[in-house]
Amino acid sequence: MRLHRRPFLIGLGAAALPLAAQGQEEPRRAERWADLRHALFGDRTVEDAGESLAIEAPPRALDAAAVPVSLSLAPELVPQVRTIHLVIDENPSPLAAVFRAGPAGDLRALSTRIRVNAYTYLHAVAETAEGRLLQAARFIKAAGGCSAPMGTDLEAARKRMGRMRFAMPEGAPAPDRAVPVQIAVSHPNTSGLQIDQLTRLSIPAEFIQNLAISYRGQEVMTVEGDISIAENPSFGFTLAGKPGGELRMEAEDNKGRRFTGRWQLGMAG
Amino acid sequence: MIGRRALLLALAAAPPARAATLPPATDGVVEVAPGLFVLPGVHEEASAANLDAIANTGFVIGEAAVAVVDPGGSHAHGLRLRRAIEARSRLPIRHLVLTHVHPDHVMGAAAFADLRPEVIGHARLPEALAQRAGFYEAMLAREMGAAAAGSAPLPPTRLVEDRLALDLGGRVLECRAHPPAHTTADLTLLDRASGTLWLSDLLFVERIPSLDGDLLGWLRELAALRLEPAGRAVPGHGPAAVPWPAAAAPLERYLTALRDDARAAIAAGIGLAEAPARVATAEAAHWQLAELYHGRNVTVAYRQLEWE
Repeated sequence: MRLHRRPFLIGLGAAALPLAAQGQEEPRRAERWADLRHALFGDRTVEDAGESLAIEAPPRALDAAAVPVSLSLAPELVPQVRTIHLVIDENPSPLAAVFRAGPAGDLRALSTRIRVNAYTYLHAVAETAEGRLLQAARFIKAAGGCSAPMGTDLEAARKRMGRMRFAMPEGAPAPDRAVPVQIAVSHPNTSGLQIDQLTRLSIPAEFIQNLAISYRGQEVMTVEGDISIAENPSFGFTLAGKPGGELRMEAEDNKGRRFTGRWQLGMAG
Repeated sequence: MIGRRALLLALAAAPPARAATLPPATDGVVEVAPGLFVLPGVHEEASAANLDAIANTGFVIGEAAVAVVDPGGSHAHGLRLRRAIEARSRLPIRHLVLTHVHPDHVMGAAAFADLRPEVIGHARLPEALAQRAGFYEAMLAREMGAAAAGSAPLPPTRLVEDRLALDLGGRVLECRAHPPAHTTADLTLLDRASGTLWLSDLLFVERIPSLDGDLLGWLRELAALRLEPAGRAVPGHGPAAVPWPAAAAPLERYLTALRDDARAAIAAGIGLAEAPARVATAEAAHWQLAELYHGRNVTVAYRQLEWE
């Protein structure tokens, strides 16, 4: 299921307006975020997160089709936050991802790579178990990421589809030691906005829609993805727990293809 | 007598690039070999002040026609090149070679539109232009303001799949289409008569290379180009002419470091966000404008190598 698809597309007209003077841009951007926030959360109060939720991204993207973004929560919020929405205000489909913590995980440090179509605010909204909403924002300069040509040729990307990558640079987890984990699945994650330059037809959108990560049989995190996630969707998170278990990733794209990855994590140290 | 003879021998043995290159004329054009002219670019980003004349452009004069190799980065730059040609030859400007899609090389083409030249490019150039031209026009307008007026590429009218012999009358330029290297559609030329390889952006000197095609492909193409029968090359950025293949060494060192360090970073689980500050930074320090391009090069290299 796509979340809130229709209200978001209504906002497209605003994004397509020619760039006005910077002074006129800020009120328009604020209005756009107000519209998006309303579409996602209705009339619920959204507080400013202040220092408790941080978005890291390069101020000027090196590659608009794969901008690394990371989100981190202050320690006191980690046990409370169960969901984080990542929104790219000016993208044609602004809701890039929804991260949900499973019983065996938390959202203290997340990362992914996104497509950025125009200079935009990124917004992250964290939701606590008792229903508080906390927002953070960051402005980013990048353009053309949604319609940018594929990083590699589509045929090669299709052949590779479903291959997985896994990295645990600081070693295996322990019950009292959360370690960073990166996983990626090779998938063209086409946006539907890229054009095949020979046929002049748009390349249909095919993208990873749902991804679930579990460890030792317990769910760590799920991610709802969208076309704003870059080619070869890549996610970083932290994992704590007894070493020696199996980490499992299951991903499904919007065409119903399923991909599964399994990794046996070694003993700590 | 002996001294004089030794001097003559020394001259004969000097690299042809040095021996044949005359100082630039008042309009900035350098005749790097008889009938082969280069207008060197500056190592800056596009601006109204430099008219986006940041790449090396030039022309070759045969007995029957003139071929332009890259018409420049803006209409104004193209016009400057056109005046330089018209000051040196009354032969028709019959061919316009676009070595690749980048704006600093193609946006001056409009300055030659009224001459209706044959526009020569790589078979994949039309695809690349379709993807990028609109974006480049907007970017140039943003960076240059009114000075960008009239700048545009011309659509290729003759495509090169593999090789093409371009006959200028008594002088043949051998055009060669490359697999993805600097970009996905790179064309180089060999002027066999003067032993000159016009490499355009397959060769960067002084200014940091920009990687927009295929890192491993670029290294492969450089290795093959080393074997070409040429003692001199015209780089896309850098001096008007440089000794070949010696001038390939710094570029190969940089690209190799990019490849090896990016592979090591991927293997160590260093993320895409951290890689630009940790990959090939020592090699990058040898190049001008590294602060503007190195991070992007690392990003491109990293993404190409992580699914090897």
